Amino acid sequence: MAKLKRIKISDYFCYLIVGAVMIGSFIVAQTGNLPRSYSNLLVQVAYSIILAVSLNLVVGFLGELSLGHAGFMCVGAYMGSYLAMQLSAVVDNKLIVLIVSMLAGGLLAAFFGLLVGLPALRLKGDYLAIVTLAFGEIVRTIFKNMSVFGKAMGLSTQSIKYDTRQDTSLYLVSFATVLVVLFLVQNLVRSKHGRAITAIRDNEIAAKAMGINVTFYKLFVFVIAAFFAGMAGVIYGHYTTPVLYSFFSYNYSIEILVMVVLGGMASINGSIIAAALITFINFQLQSHLSGDLAALKYLIYALILIVLVIFNNAPKLAPIKDKVSPKAMFEKIRAHKRKPGDIRGDKSDWRVIPTKIRMDEVLSVDLQQGNDYTPDKPNKGGN
Amino acid sequence: MKKFSKIIAMLLCLSMVVAFAACSGTEDPTNASDDATVADDATVADDATVADGSDAVETEFDFSEAGQYTADNTAYFIGATGPLTGDTSSYGISVQQGAALAVEEINAAGGLNGVQFKFDMKDDKSTAADASTGYDALYEAGMQISIGSVTSGSCESFAARADEDGVFFITPSASAASVIAASDYAFRVCFGDPDQGILAAEELTANFTNIGAIYDNSDPYSTGIYEAFKTKMAELNVSYIEQSFDAENNRDFSTQVEALKDCDVIFLPIYYTEAGLIAKTCVSKGCDALLFGCDGLDGVADQIDETVTNTIKYITPFDVNSEEKMVADFVASYTTKYGSAPDQFAADGYDAIYVIYNAMLKAGINNVTVAPDVLGDAIVATVTAADFSYKGLTGDMTWDVSGACNKIPVIVTLGE
Amino acid sequence: MSTVLDGLSLGAIYALIALGYTMVYGIAKMLNFAHGDIIMVGAYAIFVTLAAGGHVGIALLVAVLMCVVFGIVIEKVAYRPLRGASPLAVLITAIGVSYLLQSVAQIIFGAKAQTVSIVSFGTVKIASAEISVSSLITLVVGAVIMAALTLFVKNTRTGRAMLAVSEDRGAAQLMGINVNRIIMITFAIGSALAAFASIFYLMQIPSTEPTLGSMPGIKAFTAAVIGGIGSIPGAMIGGVLLGVIEKICLSVPVLAPYTTAVEFAMLILILLVRPIGLLGKKRREKV
Repeated sequence: MAKLKRIKISDYFCYLIVGAVMIGSFIVAQTGNLPRSYSNLLVQVAYSIILAVSLNLVVGFLGELSLGHAGFMCVGAYMGSYLAMQLSAVVDNKLIVLIVSMLAGGLLAAFFGLLVGLPALRLKGDYLAIVTLAFGEIVRTIFKNMSVFGKAMGLSTQSIKYDTRQDTSLYLVSFATVLVVLFLVQNLVRSKHGRAITAIRDNEIAAKAMGINVTFYKLFVFVIAAFFAGMAGVIYGHYTTPVLYSFFSYNYSIEILVMVVLGGMASINGSIIAAALITFINFQLQSHLSGDLAALKYLIYALILIVLVIFNNAPKLAPIKDKVSPKAMFEKIRAHKRKPGDIRGDKSDWRVIPTKIRMDEVLSVDLQQGNDYTPDKPNKGGN
Repeated sequence: MKKFSKIIAMLLCLSMVVAFAACSGTEDPTNASDDATVADDATVADDATVADGSDAVETEFDFSEAGQYTADNTAYFIGATGPLTGDTSSYGISVQQGAALAVEEINAAGGLNGVQFKFDMKDDKSTAADASTGYDALYEAGMQISIGSVTSGSCESFAARADEDGVFFITPSASAASVIAASDYAFRVCFGDPDQGILAAEELTANFTNIGAIYDNSDPYSTGIYEAFKTKMAELNVSYIEQSFDAENNRDFSTQVEALKDCDVIFLPIYYTEAGLIAKTCVSKGCDALLFGCDGLDGVADQIDETVTNTIKYITPFDVNSEEKMVADFVASYTTKYGSAPDQFAADGYDAIYVIYNAMLKAGINNVTVAPDVLGDAIVATVTAADFSYKGLTGDMTWDVSGACNKIPVIVTLGE
Repeated sequence: MSTVLDGLSLGAIYALIALGYTMVYGIAKMLNFAHGDIIMVGAYAIFVTLAAGGHVGIALLVAVLMCVVFGIVIEKVAYRPLRGASPLAVLITAIGVSYLLQSVAQIIFGAKAQTVSIVSFGTVKIASAEISVSSLITLVVGAVIMAALTLFVKNTRTGRAMLAVSEDRGAAQLMGINVNRIIMITFAIGSALAAFASIFYLMQIPSTEPTLGSMPGIKAFTAAVIGGIGSIPGAMIGGVLLGVIEKICLSVPVLAPYTTAVEFAMLILILLVRPIGLLGKKRREKV
């Protein structure tokens, strides 16, 4: 009998929070007090979370910058919704139609993920970033010109759209999907495959030397991420009508990237929180800044973005951040309980992902504290 | 670890079962033909009133009952969404300003039987998702009646929501056919896209032989007109030269103008920003063709300078230089308020508000907290009635049940 | 023929923008998504100066001044605190800055496009096709700037310091180079180039709006990558190539709606054949 590892709440935090929101809102909806705008916001939050978590697989775990995630969503939204419209004529059950089209949309998007994964084998860094961006733009340009999908008028998904007045179940299905996605992603990351993926990120050549099949894993991650993004696209198609190509521009890909970066690289909990937070901020800004004030929306959003990113990442602010962040406060409380024998920062712990140590930087720079060019410390951990 | 993941997996399955059970639970009422199951639920309590109201369309309306979100209203709330930021924001802002001016005027004149109006436009960046979010926010803030969305894509999304709630809206500028088809409560002030395309095809073939066309393949409005134009031209068996661009990615029109250099007339079913650039490109390319456009071209006068010698004609319901008193007054007060001359978007927004005002006046609305669905049914009945018409900045208008607006187009000429 | 000439004149503008882009990119090692919006700042500066009755030369001067000031301030406030942090964090602040500039422009100037009346130099005939003189000037200026930049980088102290910083920031620091100063100078030069780009942009496309920068920004990014990131002649070639391809696609009606797709497909093809762009420098990977 293997000894059960000590359960840490933080390991299952994501299920707890998503499940709590889902069940909580379901209860509120049953009492009839859930405003429709919130049940719709929940759908938006759900597909944002799926997008952010799946992009985090590529950016955070595999370490490749992708600027075309909205392209996969576009594939899912157009193709999945189209399929759902055809299906709904035959199958009466809305839920079955949604699940089938979600799987189909995901698979089609995954195929495109494979296509994008191929250049990823050859290209690196920013070159790959522009290829993914290019891919996203190519996809939506093609969809824009297909008469099956309504050309520039977009694909009207009126027939499959959920009537949000009488049927608030879309957010429940979306959240159930989020749970499934989280379950799959968490288990992937914690498995030996997940370790192989992070090994490729940390040092591709070393990973290769250790016998990791880099080709397979790179393609695998792109395919999986695309699959999830495609599913998010199908949810989008059921949420709103029409599916319009202009929504899936690189600006939206960047918005997903913002969620990932704000949440923290390779931090799934972070992605969930950031996705929910950004969607909520956008929702609030849109609801409150109307008419003449609308121009301020982006101004405020931009300021929040800049301040948050600088606060989170600036090397010079790190000491201040360590003092005021919730994590640090937690540590303080926990420090009392810790037994003297406990080892902190156990490197064999799967949650701690070592960051890359670049030998050339370590060798060529004097590590003076406060110096701009002191490289990232190796113990920075997963986020 | 393994054990725990099993537990989690089971929990997950459980929650999915709960979710799906919940889904099918809430789904049933939609399919059920009788409203009895719905009536239990507090949120959908006023569904019953929808059903009652729709039965009573032809008879008297009872405005006394307050809606779910409108009970605290102290002014009639007109809502809208439109692009107030981003690439197409100038159109949204024009509509917003025109509509706000109309509301201001109505309120200054005492409102509807002493009750004031309130107008609010949410930003939708021309996207469908943001239009529905904006709609939700408006509806829950007590919106009773609406002028919909500015652009076609987002207005279709707006219409889908409005149809669920029975909210009447009359859009100033969303001209795609799909918009008014999406809801029985959807009406418009502007011409429909296909109508303009057909009209243009007839007009051009009657007067010219060498015809060219440039359209924006990324824009629903432009594509909508162009597709109708193309079909009509094929029907008339007239050939022409086709060019297109993508407004997001192309801002330089030298190739398109070069290809159409020898045409007598270039058909431009596009918005004025790009049309202004095309007109200037014509100057540098030495092309003296007549530029012929649709209502989106209105406002092009601001976008060109004295170097442009091409004659520009466009089908529009609104002429900013008209000597009619109503138009002149509007132009004067708009210019003093906002510092620039109004375009057709502003005029349409202004008209849309007045249509709502006149319809509410005629329907005899007497309760400021009236529920949106009751108001919606009453206004649809009023507006589609044979004796309802409105003479506004953009002409004499009447409406039929489809929601399309019947009015006579005027062709305005610039620089002859 | 005339299509190719049109493509050349459009490509010249892309190239000019890409020059500034690739400078910043090569030395500061960041995707500067706000570069396009600096062009927008320049365009509005020119618009305001011309509207106030200023001469084109004065307008250019004002634009250069404004752009340089904006470039330096943005670098100092938004990018410098993040030096040493993940490049993605800088990418996000760059996007934030881009949103910020656009919304400020919309608040000040309104959303409507403003037409800019700039002197037109007319056209000249080259082998039965016409090309506008301003496009020729753009090409020449682009080539001159390219040559000047190459000379500057190779032969001056600051230029060589830039190369050193681009090669290895830490080592450059150790050699006594003030890296912050060098990156600030890079931003100043990049922004000044953006100002030049904006005046030529306006000669060709005489209208300015708050979102003017986003399209040229992305095109310049593409052009810079085609040419090889950090390579000055590469940016020039990439820009011109992109312009010509765009115009050729647009001139074929069947292909026209797919222009963007074709441009980006070409980019992917080039990168698949040469993963470092046409003139990019290959870096050996270290373990």
